[in-house]
This record gives sequence, C-alpha cells and structure tokens, in this order.
Amino acid sequence: MTHRKSLAYFGDWGRHAVFASAFVLTASSLAALSSEVRADGIKRGGVLVMARPDEPLTFDPFIPGDNGSIYAIEQVCDALVEADDTGRGLRPGLAESWEMSTDGLTYTFKIRDAKFSNGEPVTVDDVVFTLKTLSDPAKYLAFVLKPVKNISAVDDKHVKVELSEPYAPLLSALSAYAASIVNKKAYEASPEKFGTSPVCAGPFMVESYERGSTVVLKANPYYWDMGTDGKPLPYLEGVELKYVPESNSRVLGLRNGDYDVISTVAFNQAKSLQADSNLVVESTAIFRLDYVYLNHQKKPLDSKDFRLALNYAADREAILKAVYFGYGEVPNSYMPKVNFHSDAVPVIPFDLAKAKELVQKSGYDGTPIQIMVDTGNAPSRQVATILQQGWEAAGIKSEIVEMDVGTAWTMTTKGDYQAYVSYITSDINDTDELATIQADVTAGSQAFFTWYDNKDVQKMLTEARREPDPAKRAALYAKVQETVYNDAYSIPLNFAPVINGSQAHVKDLKQLANGWWWLQKVWLDK
Amino acid sequence: MNLITYIVSRLLQMIPVVIGVSLVAFLAIHLVPGDPVQLMMHGRATPETLQAAHAKLGLDQSLLIQYWHFITNAATGSLGTSIIQNADVGKIVGERLLPTVLLLVTSAVFAILIALPLSIIAARRSDQAADHAIRLVGIIGFAMPPFWVGIILMLFFGIYLDWFPISGYGRSFGDRMYHLVLPSLTVALFLAPILIQSLRAAILDVMTAEYITVARAKGLGPWRILIKHALRNALMPVTTILAVNIGWLLSGAVVVEYLFSFPGLGSLLVRAVGQRDYPVIQGLSLVFAILVLVVNLLADLSYMLIDRRVLKA
Repeated sequence: MTHRKSLAYFGDWGRHAVFASAFVLTASSLAALSSEVRADGIKRGGVLVMARPDEPLTFDPFIPGDNGSIYAIEQVCDALVEADDTGRGLRPGLAESWEMSTDGLTYTFKIRDAKFSNGEPVTVDDVVFTLKTLSDPAKYLAFVLKPVKNISAVDDKHVKVELSEPYAPLLSALSAYAASIVNKKAYEASPEKFGTSPVCAGPFMVESYERGSTVVLKANPYYWDMGTDGKPLPYLEGVELKYVPESNSRVLGLRNGDYDVISTVAFNQAKSLQADSNLVVESTAIFRLDYVYLNHQKKPLDSKDFRLALNYAADREAILKAVYFGYGEVPNSYMPKVNFHSDAVPVIPFDLAKAKELVQKSGYDGTPIQIMVDTGNAPSRQVATILQQGWEAAGIKSEIVEMDVGTAWTMTTKGDYQAYVSYITSDINDTDELATIQADVTAGSQAFFTWYDNKDVQKMLTEARREPDPAKRAALYAKVQETVYNDAYSIPLNFAPVINGSQAHVKDLKQLANGWWWLQKVWLDK
Repeated sequence: MNLITYIVSRLLQMIPVVIGVSLVAFLAIHLVPGDPVQLMMHGRATPETLQAAHAKLGLDQSLLIQYWHFITNAATGSLGTSIIQNADVGKIVGERLLPTVLLLVTSAVFAILIALPLSIIAARRSDQAADHAIRLVGIIGFAMPPFWVGIILMLFFGIYLDWFPISGYGRSFGDRMYHLVLPSLTVALFLAPILIQSLRAAILDVMTAEYITVARAKGLGPWRILIKHALRNALMPVTTILAVNIGWLLSGAVVVEYLFSFPGLGSLLVRAVGQRDYPVIQGLSLVFAILVLVVNLLADLSYMLIDRRVLKA
C-alpha cells in the first residue's frame, strides 16, 4: 500500500504550475509537467464500481455546493482549465492554451477542437454562454468570477475574458466545477433535464441516474484527451457510482468484493482494512482543515489573550491520536494547505502554564463558554471533550452543546454561537478563495463567521489577489498565515486527510487534493 | 352500511387530517433555524447571492403565504421543485415510494411468518419451557438495536455465507426482492417480538371463549380448533398492531435504509431535513400522512374480511 505523505513536494508542484499558468501556456509544456509516462501494460475496458458516502443530487454545474454532485460533475464535464493529477496544479482542459495581456486585465483562451458527448463540437458560443451563466449574481458560485467584467467571442476559436482589476486566481476559478462548459442548446432547452442527463465534454457521460442509489457512467466516445496507446481516454468502459452512506457498509462491501473502490474510509476502520493484503488503503492529504470556529464578537472570545489561551490548552497531539487514529498533521495555519501554504510558521504548542498565564491576563471572569458540536457526530464530540479537559486544567470552564448540523450551521452564520467544531475545504487550488473568505470580514461572510477584523490582513489579501508574480504572492500569503494564525483566529485541529480503499486490481486511481478523483486514466488489471 | 360509501366517507375524512399534518410539518421545519442556500454553499454565498436566491425560491415571503402556495399547488397535483436538486418533488418522491412500500410489505410478511408459528407454539405450550424460551428470545430480539442487527445479518448472511447482497436495490423485480431480504429481515426481527406477544395473548384469550369449548365438545382436535377457530379471531389485534405500527415502521425504515444503502423515502427525508430542502420535506410529510391513513383504512377493510360482523355493524 502506498502513503502519500510528502506534502512539501506537492506544495512545490502547485506553485510551479500556477507560476507557469500566469504567463503563456501551451499544452505541450504542461503535459511535460503533469503526465506520467507509462510503459505498455495498460488494459482497456471493464466497469469500475465505486462506493461513496454521498450521492450526486444534480449534474447541473450551476446549482450544487455538495461534494456528492461536484465529484460526479467532474467526471462528466470538462472546464477550460482542469486540475492536474494531484489537484495542486492546473492543466489545459477545453482551452488548448491561453494568453494574459501585460496589464493582467484580459485573458484570451484558444478553444480546443473537442466534442460534447452528443457528438456536437464545443464552440465559443457554448463557452461564452457557460461563463456568462455562472457570473449571474443569482448563481451560488458567482463570486469566483466577481472581478470579471466581460466575456466575449473573438472569433470562432478564441474567447476573451476581461477583468475590472487584476485577478491572479482566475485560472483556478475557471477550473471549478461550476465553470464546466455546458452544451448551450441542451442547457437552454431544459436545465431540469440537464440536471439528470447532462451534455458536457468530459471523459464520461451519464448512462442512467437512479436517485439515492446508483449513477452509471459510460465512456464518452468523443472525449478529446488521448491515452498512452494513442486512443481516446478513458480506459474504462464505464463507472458505477454507488451511494453507500454508511461507513461500515462501504467497508463490508469492499471486503466482500462488491466494490472496486470505496471513498472516505472512517479513520477508526482504516488500520484494520490495511491488514487485508488484497486491498490497497491510501491516505491522501487534501485541502481540508478541521477546526473550531470562534466568534470574536462574543465575550470572552473578543480577547486575543483568551483565544490564545484556548489554543495553548488544546492538546492537538492527543486529538490526532484519539480521534484521527494518527491520520493527518497538527496544523500551523488557520486555513487548509492550499498552494501558497507556508511550512515556516511554527505550531502553537500544548502549554498549560502559558495558557493559565494568558487566562489571567485576559481578565476572564469564569463564565463557561459553550462549544457546539453536530448531533450524532462522535468524532466532534470527542474533540470537544479533549478540549474541555485541557481548558479545565487552564482554568477555563466550558459546556458542550449538541445541535443538528443544519441548526448548528445556521446559528454559526448568524453569529449566535461561541465556538463550533467544524471544518472547511477548498475546491480550487489557489489560496485566495479561502484566505479571503476566512480572513477578510469585508468579503461577504464575516471572515467565515468569526467577525475577525484585521485591516492589515485585508490589505495584504487585496494586494496578493492583484499580484501576478507568484513569489511575491507566496510571501504575502505567508505573512497573512502567520498573522491570522497567531491572532488565534480559531482553534485549528488537524489537516485531515481522506482515506480510500480499493482492490489491488484497480490501477492509477488519482485522489486529488481538491477532494475528488480522476477516473479517466484508471484501468483494471484483471 | 354499503362498502363503497364507507370507503368514500373514509377517504373524505382523510382530507382534513392530511392538511393538518402538512401544516404541522410545514411549521415545524420552518421554525427550526436553517437556510437551504447557506447550508448548500457551506457559508460561501455572498449576501447578494443569498437575497437573489431567496427571492427566486420564494423564501423571502411570509410563512403563511408560502404555505398557501404549497397547499394550493398540491391541490393541483404539483408538489413544487426541490431546492437542492432542481427537480420535481413529485418525481423525486415517486421514485422512492415503491422501494419503501416494498420494504414495509416484505418486512410485515417476514414478521408474520416468524411470529405466527412461534406464537402458536407459545400459546399451545403456555407457561412451559418452549413458551418461556420464545418469550425470552423475543425480548432479546426486541432489545437489540436494528442498526446492530443489520450489521450482524450483513456479516453472517452476506459475507460469511454469501447468500444475499448486503446493499443496494437491484434492477429487475426478482433482483430487487433478492436485495430486500436482509433489510426486511432486519425490520422483521424488531417487529416480530411485538406480534408474538400480542398474538400469544390473543390466542390464549380466545381459547377460553365459549365457542371453543363447544368446538372441543364436538370432539375437534386441538390443532384444528386452534387454526380454524382461534387463529381467525386472534388475527384481529395483530392487524391492528401492524396498522398502528406503520408510522413507527416508517421511521424505523430510515435506519435500515441508511445501513443497506436503500433508495427509499426514509433516507430521502433525512437528507432533505439536513439540507432544509423545504419542498421535499413538505412533499414527504404529505406522502407519509397519506401512507399511514391508507394503511389504516386497509386494516379496517381487512377486519371485514376476517370478521363479517364489522361490515354489518
């Protein structure tokens, strides 16, 4: 079994790819970056059966925000730019190449000769229609294209995207699932029908869609990308995505041979699954941070000393061991490890003496703070209990409150909470999205419901977004990371990885750091 | 009373009940805090997006107006559009209805198949070793959480013996029945002890009736008396128990559907509540209410089959 733990390595990949993509890019230069040259031996054909904890609710790229839908859309639809095989860098998708004007305000994309799954060519009209639909403010993901001023066709091969201000993360934003290029005619005819039988230009197409149970995908015969044998990808004939919400049921099904792959193995089941020599269990670092949200508006959390005390009294090693069974890494950031993550920021250690001192300094009056967890979420409850013990030793009183996830989330967004055990993930590989959402209170979601307000940080983030030089951006984001983390923005718990299990005959399955997987290069050795 | 007028009047009585249930469900889910758009976007949506989305979904209107829209649309047969799936609620719920109804029916059949012979034995050998053993096993079965029983059944029948599939729903009818075995058995093992208790008590009660003494005096054998005379009368309370438990069974099916990855109404409801997909929740509450009422009506009608006196009364 293989463990991908070398995070610094992937971090460099991400930076490299973004650096390159900020300038002129061609398919050939990127292919050298990301493709894995294989000798022969790849077998075509077969159907991959994959069990997942969530189900696609729709294939309409402009609607969803749930992973069940997003991960499935990624298999069926391609965007102009796509995530590479690690999810940390980018590669050309339906755009063969692109150019940025010297002022950074205009991007021109050359559209590839590609076809939709119904055989119709992908045209500039489809691209313009897609991007315009996405930038409609009533669309949930419109914010990723906020600095976009105009989208237009230059000729029948080129599309121009004009910005109102320089926006370095544009290419990452265009790789998002919501920017998947749709067939204009099919979408306009009926968005509802598109939701169940989409017409896109990705490696697979939807053959059947039974809600609550199975989505059957088959190879898109018109897919543009080629395998090592010079024939179109994917290698597989098809994929069955099974919805198996219960973690035990997925593990039993894998052991029984019902599934080729199961995604999201529970941390407490991974070790025993690894003992089975017929199976491959792989833990992959993804863009996810599990952390305790803190509401800086509420006393005593408005005091930085008090928030720091909560951090110093948090025994994260114990949490990593007891709750995550050792999977993950104690975080040194307020956000997930996305491309501009800095390893140089030191972790706040577990130090009860220091915590006690800070509690004294903060003038804490002994009123218990409330820590909220989702009802029925045993790991969150365990985290809260371990935190509670540390805090108690530092002289901080606390109570655990359980709420159903919908209620807890709404209370959080309304600022009607003190501390909440939850997490955040990033769909795109640029630091800007989450850094802005989490640390800039003026960006629309109250610094992700912490009401953290630091003018210097806001200034640095604006600067970084407009900065085309990746080295300078990296320096700015590192400074932001250090500042926000040491302002005790939150209580970071773990860079939680995702664990997948598969049969030994499943080859070249790529778990991406964005959370989903590429299946077009998967093949079955049986 | 004429059977047709009876059924029609019962169906008419259902209307106010269904409206009442849907109103309570509507108010309950709207009184719990939650915003489908915020939940779906995990807090990413900007205030402008939220406002635009709320206006489009009609969530910015008052609760009474929203309910009025729902009930008037429902009267014309439209249950609205799912917020999260952008698909017709009637269609989504319709797809899930058959699996759940099949699960309930097969569970009830399994429960009766288990309960009938065991309760007869328990009644025949009342207060003897066999009776005590059956009652003890029943209590143990009842006390085991269905979730755990389901996993044990999966391990034993699914993996160790490899007789039945452990998850999913199947494609053809036969395949579906095959997939239904373990989930139904899980529900049945929880339901059977209740049936055994009441059936045993009912048989013992009937056995003391005068007509049984008459039958015995006519020289009929004990098994013939039991099956021909006692059981028929004892079945009445069992029908009631099954009908009364239908609401409970629906909620129990949630756990079983989840465990066996079964695409039924229960798993749909759990998801819709978690995401505050209001139209789906409202549509489901309507369907659940109708399902419970219809099953109770069927139970009343089956009394008539078992006992013709009810029809005359």
